[in-house]
Amino acid sequence: MHIAEGMLPVAVCVAGYGTMAATTWYTLRKLNQQPDPRAGIPKASLLAAGFFVLSLISIPIPPASVHLILGGLMGILLGWYAFPAILVALFFQAVMFQHGGLTTLGVNATVIGAPALLAHLAFQAAKHLKVAAPGQRLGVGITGLLIGSMTLFIEVLLFYGVLLLSVRFQAAVNAALEQAALTTAVVAYLPLMLLEGLFTAMVLLFLLRVSPALLGMQPAAAAPTRATATERPAEHPAEQGEPV
Amino acid sequence: MNTQWLDAYAHLDSLLHRWEPRSKLIALVGLLFAFAAISDVRLVPVMLALSIALYAMSRLPLTFLLSRLRYPGALLLVFVGVLPFIAGEQVVLRVGLLALHHEGLLLALLTSARFAAILTTSLVLFGTTAFLTIVRTLAMLGVPALLVDMLFFFYRYLATIAENLSTMQRAMHLRGFRARRPDWRTITMLAALAGSLLIRSYEQSERVYQAMRLRGYGHTPPVRHQHQSRAHPHDRLLFGGTLACAGALVAANSLLLAL
Repeated sequence: MHIAEGMLPVAVCVAGYGTMAATTWYTLRKLNQQPDPRAGIPKASLLAAGFFVLSLISIPIPPASVHLILGGLMGILLGWYAFPAILVALFFQAVMFQHGGLTTLGVNATVIGAPALLAHLAFQAAKHLKVAAPGQRLGVGITGLLIGSMTLFIEVLLFYGVLLLSVRFQAAVNAALEQAALTTAVVAYLPLMLLEGLFTAMVLLFLLRVSPALLGMQPAAAAPTRATATERPAEHPAEQGEPV
Repeated sequence: MNTQWLDAYAHLDSLLHRWEPRSKLIALVGLLFAFAAISDVRLVPVMLALSIALYAMSRLPLTFLLSRLRYPGALLLVFVGVLPFIAGEQVVLRVGLLALHHEGLLLALLTSARFAAILTTSLVLFGTTAFLTIVRTLAMLGVPALLVDMLFFFYRYLATIAENLSTMQRAMHLRGFRARRPDWRTITMLAALAGSLLIRSYEQSERVYQAMRLRGYGHTPPVRHQHQSRAHPHDRLLFGGTLACAGALVAANSLLLAL
């Protein structure tokens, strides 16, 4: 879900860079409040590269196939690093595949990065409310399903909202057709939202079973994992409840 | 995933290859935004001529441009295909319930031309400069150290992680897994694949970080990349000329709109 070069008027491109700069400043400020912000850089970068590669996996929906964006999962696993990670991945995509672009980088980063930060906040809230906890597999699953679906829903709204706003900026638009286009887009994405939510939930349940530290959780006492077997004290922020 | 092709033509010799990276980045990005600012169709030939001239100067092969245009071009076609139907008021042709509008057609033409010009110019920028030089130049221009470090790591480990995924997928394939439809089993298997890859990436990052800590990473302030290369007269000429073209385009666009 990338807006290509040339699709947006320059005012929207500049506004996109403005929101990107403000969000980057805020996330860097949050990261700089951590004891050692550079400690998370390799983890965030390698996980971002992992997400980049995962987005290339195609899920068959005959007669075509779809690629997942996994913005919600990125927000959950990377925390405040999600926005810079998405920015870096989008820059790389623009350079490597000409997917997206330099003039639209700000808008694309905002469209995908801002919902990922909301996903991070939503998961932290679910953890705080003990809905998502090591022993609560159902709670973690439902949280993942909702966060995965809603993140894509917000991305779709922002993506088509920006596109329609840009068209309206440059020419008169038939309001009924505009409404129909937005509704069609959202309806067309509904199965994908469900799939994204389901996939996010299943990856979260897998990580909860195999490596709960990645979710910033201690393993449940009833279900020992590799982390408990070694009885290693929590020394990494991820193991103390903070995302990487 | 091979990232080496990014620098496939960075070794060629042309005036644009020799252009000092910092002024090249500023001037060409300025030109990209000037292209994005064009809203009058009468400037389309000028914009396209400028981008073609730059590409010719860069001595990059035409096959490089065509191969890079194909994928984003297909996505753009969907957008410009819809534009004449939803944008504009003056009906040119009516097909059943749908009406083709004059303004929408012009907007589709303008959008396609902007896309082609911006993409060609950005290929000139990235095709004539090594990727790591671009990242170092961004650091010199004041991009935060955290972002620059992330870009370096991302670039360094992307191919490794892609190779990990490829190995895991091959192993699944050899054990009989075929993703044919989005049923429960397929999604469960792909989720486990994704989870395993993320855990591998996380564990690898721990090893990388520990190795880097041993070499001093995190103990010293981030290295600020200093501007070392000296600007030659031809760099100043290219810098001034490109920004003058960008300024002239924006001014001409404002003038044409005001008339």
